Amino acid sequence: MLTPLPGTEETTSDWSLLARIGQKDEEALSALYDRYSGLVFSEARRILRDTGAAEEILQDLFFQVWRTAERFDPARGSLAGWLLVAARNRAISKLRKKSGQTEELDENGVSFSVNVESHAAQNLLLDKVRAVMGSLPENQREALECAYFEGMSHSEIAEKTGQPLGTIKTRIRSAMESLKKVLS
Amino acid sequence: MSNAEHIRLEELELFALGALPAEEAAAIEAHVSGCGECALKLAQAGGNAAVLSFGVKQERPAGTVKAELMARIRANREAQQRNAWPQKAPVTPSIPKPKARGSWWNWALATAAVVLALVSFGLSWQNRRIATELQKEHQEAETLIHDRERIEKLVGVLAAPDTVTVKLAGTSDAANASGLVKFNAKTGVVLYAADLPELPAGKSYQMWLVPANGTPISAGLLGPGGHAWGSMWTGEVPLNTQPKAFAVTIEPVGGMPQPTGPKVLLGAA
Repeated sequence: MLTPLPGTEETTSDWSLLARIGQKDEEALSALYDRYSGLVFSEARRILRDTGAAEEILQDLFFQVWRTAERFDPARGSLAGWLLVAARNRAISKLRKKSGQTEELDENGVSFSVNVESHAAQNLLLDKVRAVMGSLPENQREALECAYFEGMSHSEIAEKTGQPLGTIKTRIRSAMESLKKVLS
Repeated sequence: MSNAEHIRLEELELFALGALPAEEAAAIEAHVSGCGECALKLAQAGGNAAVLSFGVKQERPAGTVKAELMARIRANREAQQRNAWPQKAPVTPSIPKPKARGSWWNWALATAAVVLALVSFGLSWQNRRIATELQKEHQEAETLIHDRERIEKLVGVLAAPDTVTVKLAGTSDAANASGLVKFNAKTGVVLYAADLPELPAGKSYQMWLVPANGTPISAGLLGPGGHAWGSMWTGEVPLNTQPKAFAVTIEPVGGMPQPTGPKVLLGAA
């Protein structure tokens, strides 16, 4: 369960905060950090299973937001989505000891069909996603988690599980369909 | 892979999950960089994949992480300021420790120390004032550069021989509004709009390019300022996109990935 930190402003939109960060407003960065640091850190820690490495990714990511906030185009997607995808990609690169590219704020957008700018909305989505993940058949959940949290390609998952490639694709697709229902 | 052969949603979802081998992922990246429709679908697929992060056990990072981050950004800011406005650090004169002498000598040294402190304070105040003025001039220079880039873009669109003109008409939600779009597939889009209705609080105008195939592509925000009179805006669209129509809608400040609010201007290309 996520709880807002004391003094966290929940009524200001991400874009307002980002605009202020572009003007080098430290309080705005602080508020954005309070809003999403738990999600970003938890995701990176789940992938890396290393608190120090996850904290390093978290700090680097928000430092990048500080330096390049003005490049983010709101029309191209959700800031929360971008933070989570960027943290995931960095953690996977670190996990696989690859020198991954650093995502820029003006690169591919990420659209969330739900607004997660308040901790209440985040908690609601946490409950829904957990419920869906808990209800998925074990093999579907495993395929999804191997891809997203371990950075395995579908052929690597097929090799690991001893299943045909087509079966793995079907499992991932079915799992994603269940997940999308949460968002619809 | 050409724009005509869009990538299947299933492949985009696998890409967003990171489940595609490197060569397939590279082919998708190359296609998406030039295809607005697939970029939009990929953004949605990316959002769907990122939702998986909500399924993990939630933990808070140590408080020291934030403290270090804030210290880091302050150091970065100070370094930038130092690089932007190099200035000699104010010299604080060191006052030699007085040796034991007569009282008149101590009194003279004390007076000198006060005078030096006042001079030091004056220099420091002057230094700060100069730094503030330099910062203001730096901001004005940045504004001028931004304006120049905007004008260059404007000229690039308006002067290109293959730029097309599209008239926009006000909808029933904005009967008096009118607009004119100048569109060039290589250099961008310019909108001139007049008599747009006052924006409600928390809303801004968003310009859309409706491609011949696929869903609308955002061409940029028109500012939350409530422009009631004629104004000219430059917008960004993916290169070589063929438009079917242009529209302006009212959306929440910050814009939306797809139009959700009422249309105020509309015109077929």
